[in-house]
Amino acid sequence: MNTALQSLELIDLGSTREGEERFVRYLSGVCEALELDYASYAAANPVSGKVHAFTTYPDAWKRHYIEQGLHRVDPTLDAPRRSIAPVDWARLDPDRRFAHVFGQARDFGLPDTGLTIPVRGPYGETALFSVTRQLRRDGWQKLKRHVLGDLQTAAIHLHDTVMSTENLLQALRRPQLSGREVEILQWVAEGKSQQDIGDILAISHRTVEVHLRSAREKLCTLTTAQAIGRAVSLGLVRPG
Amino acid sequence: MIIVIDALNKNNHTTLLDQMFRLRARVFRDRRGWDVAVTEDGREIDDFDRLDPAYILSLDDTGTVVGCARLLQTTGPHMLSDVFHDILDGEPPLRSATVWESTRFCVDTDRLKQRSGRRGVSETTFELMIGTLEYARDAGISDIVTVIDPVMDRVLKRSGNAPYGYVGRQADMGKVPALAALLDCTDDRIHRLRDSAEIHGEVFADPATERALEDANRPGKKGIDLQQYCDEQVAAATTEKEKADALALRDLLTRNFRDGHATCDS
Repeated sequence: MNTALQSLELIDLGSTREGEERFVRYLSGVCEALELDYASYAAANPVSGKVHAFTTYPDAWKRHYIEQGLHRVDPTLDAPRRSIAPVDWARLDPDRRFAHVFGQARDFGLPDTGLTIPVRGPYGETALFSVTRQLRRDGWQKLKRHVLGDLQTAAIHLHDTVMSTENLLQALRRPQLSGREVEILQWVAEGKSQQDIGDILAISHRTVEVHLRSAREKLCTLTTAQAIGRAVSLGLVRPG
Repeated sequence: MIIVIDALNKNNHTTLLDQMFRLRARVFRDRRGWDVAVTEDGREIDDFDRLDPAYILSLDDTGTVVGCARLLQTTGPHMLSDVFHDILDGEPPLRSATVWESTRFCVDTDRLKQRSGRRGVSETTFELMIGTLEYARDAGISDIVTVIDPVMDRVLKRSGNAPYGYVGRQADMGKVPALAALLDCTDDRIHRLRDSAEIHGEVFADPATERALEDANRPGKKGIDLQQYCDEQVAAATTEKEKADALALRDLLTRNFRDGHATCDS
């Protein structure tokens, strides 16, 4: 699971001052691991209203985008926010707004093959995680299928981490682990394999995996080892 | 035939959505006795329908909704986190970017009465399961947690689509018990399900059919000559499959017009 992403540097919740730089580094890491050209993230904090946006796009495009106020008409920031599934940009209405933004992007040599992953947080807040790659249709479809699961995981990981950088939300977001999740983390901490744990608890190993995945995300971690570390530091799990 | 309606295309499919809400009222309130709210005009709608879920709809060959399911992400508000506390026994719900929640799975058994399905499972039920799993898989989702009653649990088991696990415990939902089952969206499961359903072709409507099913009188829809469009599609077909699809679309539209289900605004 998530082998490509696991090699990335993990974002540490504790450091907020140099946060932005770390978030962009994380996006770059996602691009590198999953063979993508560019990645962006945008969200509004539901409590403070502060907008968080990070991207690996070239500075020239970022300046142009801001000067021209393209975010007001950018179709990738609009429709996908209300979708459940990732939205391939090919599905967006090829209307005037679309032509306006993508025409200019093309002038900057940027790809128009891409997709946006809608993220929904527990307080009903939404965020968008977009990636692009200059590829022909068939190659793009193949890549998409290969990386979408990892991208979903990366999107929510980044979102949860960004949202936790503000004190108020950090307090709200104390991880709410279920008894089953804690129980399974405890067995992992004691060195049991997923198969062993399934046998001990008389549930399938895939059910163990789903609980573990849920626990990793609630703890804002990508690997099980890091989840154990954080659960121990929060006093949820005894060191093995 | 399966069509997916979400926030991006819902304004073009108000007729189908309306049929779905009415079907849900008939199934969940009238037949299964669930404790659900139904509007005065007979539509079952709850708060989660206002969160822009994705709906998987199964249509019969007249283009009428005969089955549906509703999908939401588990990272945001969803039924297990906000409503089905009893199932989880007060425990926090699963939360994962790659797990979706499926709720309100139902089929119109009145309409399907004449058809005998394999193992007592209707083709619509099979098609809905396949559509849900494939739509989720193609979105990078690995597992679905689904809130069902024991009847549906038995249907899943009979159709080669048995849950691999359950979350929480069985709890009362109005007059009937409800439980949360886990299904993976792997190719393995989908193959198994397709084999037991003997459904091997594409279940999703192609883009042309989807457009043809849009509300006839929606604002902004340009009047087009559908007869001419269909004839062009048949003429332009390069494979037998394309030709068969184009002919089926023409038949479908012809039937709809004859039955007065749709009108043309051209």
